[in-house]
Amino acid sequence: MKDNHRDNAEHNHQYGCPVCLTLNDMSNPKCRTCHRHLHLINSNSIQHTIALLITSVLLYIPANFLPIMYTNWLGQETASTILGGVVSLWEPGTYPIAVVIFVASILVPIGKILALSWLCLSVTVKKTDSRRINLKLYKITELIGRWSMVDVFAVAILASLIQMGKVMSVYPGMAAVAFAGMVITTMLAAMSFDPRLMWANQVHQFENEK
Amino acid sequence: MNNLTQDVPESDSTIACHGCDLLISLPELDYGQTASCPRCNHLITRRLLGAHNKILALSISSFIFLIFALPFPFLYFSNQGKDYVISFADSIFNMVLMDYFSIAILLFFTTLLIPAICLLSLIYVLVSLQQKRLLPYTQPLLQSVFFLIDWNMAEIFLVATLISFIKISSLATVTLGLSFWSYVFFIICLVAGLSLLDRYQIWRKVKIHER
Repeated sequence: MKDNHRDNAEHNHQYGCPVCLTLNDMSNPKCRTCHRHLHLINSNSIQHTIALLITSVLLYIPANFLPIMYTNWLGQETASTILGGVVSLWEPGTYPIAVVIFVASILVPIGKILALSWLCLSVTVKKTDSRRINLKLYKITELIGRWSMVDVFAVAILASLIQMGKVMSVYPGMAAVAFAGMVITTMLAAMSFDPRLMWANQVHQFENEK
Repeated sequence: MNNLTQDVPESDSTIACHGCDLLISLPELDYGQTASCPRCNHLITRRLLGAHNKILALSISSFIFLIFALPFPFLYFSNQGKDYVISFADSIFNMVLMDYFSIAILLFFTTLLIPAICLLSLIYVLVSLQQKRLLPYTQPLLQSVFFLIDWNMAEIFLVATLISFIKISSLATVTLGLSFWSYVFFIICLVAGLSLLDRYQIWRKVKIHER
């Protein structure tokens, strides 16, 4: 199997444009095909990812403890959190939806934060034996991250649809904003992580040895 | 002679893998063939027969469906003899009325503006590729498609609609309106079109046209 850092574009002072895949000389400031500004692979990528991950963890706390939705039913107001919403869907027997909400707004965000932390860790400690699986993990994280937004959108639709004054009305809570912020920061964290760093490890070692 | 001293040939078919940065010289692909990285298994490109024409057709129909999703009722809702109707835009306006500007902006951008910009840019770029010479701003527009497409959440809005539909249906009678079905077809065309879009193939076509 080809596993030599000498075959990396970085080692040959070349850089593949992430937008159009054209190979550019590292001295070029802009891609020669799509004229995009080129940002070279750097270890700052890990720092950015970790900073964004910490932000998302902080936002995840109010997202879970503040109410995401207020329901006004014949003058009685009840507030429900994300987890409370899942329980209230589970009890009347609407299992599929309870599972969808549980997966999208609890499992996926936690899994995503753990996965990205693991990826950052394995790049920093220069772990090289599970890179293919890690790349697959990264791609899955990038793909499913957006789907956490489902709960926020559902609250927005319910709140704009159910407005019958005192009979029944639904209002969004602050948790919706915190949760949306959490999803956006984890998406940004996934985007700022550069999977190529997993294979660039050896280059740094090589340069240190010189 | 230069080739002997240089490890890497400077041809356009050499690319760096987006997953692991390995230099790969891509062979000329036949229709239906795919190329993936030998080191990290990352799918690099897929060449399909008539992909760009199909994307153009799907983008145009998707955009037409998006326009039809706007003026008509999205969901009907009746409770104790009273009827309530919301259109697609109402779900955004009502968020503004409730002072949740951030959610309103998020909804407006991710479910309406970004998909619309992506579709219009794709249509422009693909029409431009069918001309003898590229139309102006082709490259920046295509670049913006690849930048914005990660923020498209139209299909998530659809799933959210279905979830709230089931949530309310136990309380009152809810009916899906014409706009909703138009939005469904908009998403089907959008997802089908985007699944055919391949970075390497479309930029290669742009490069060929530039010469």
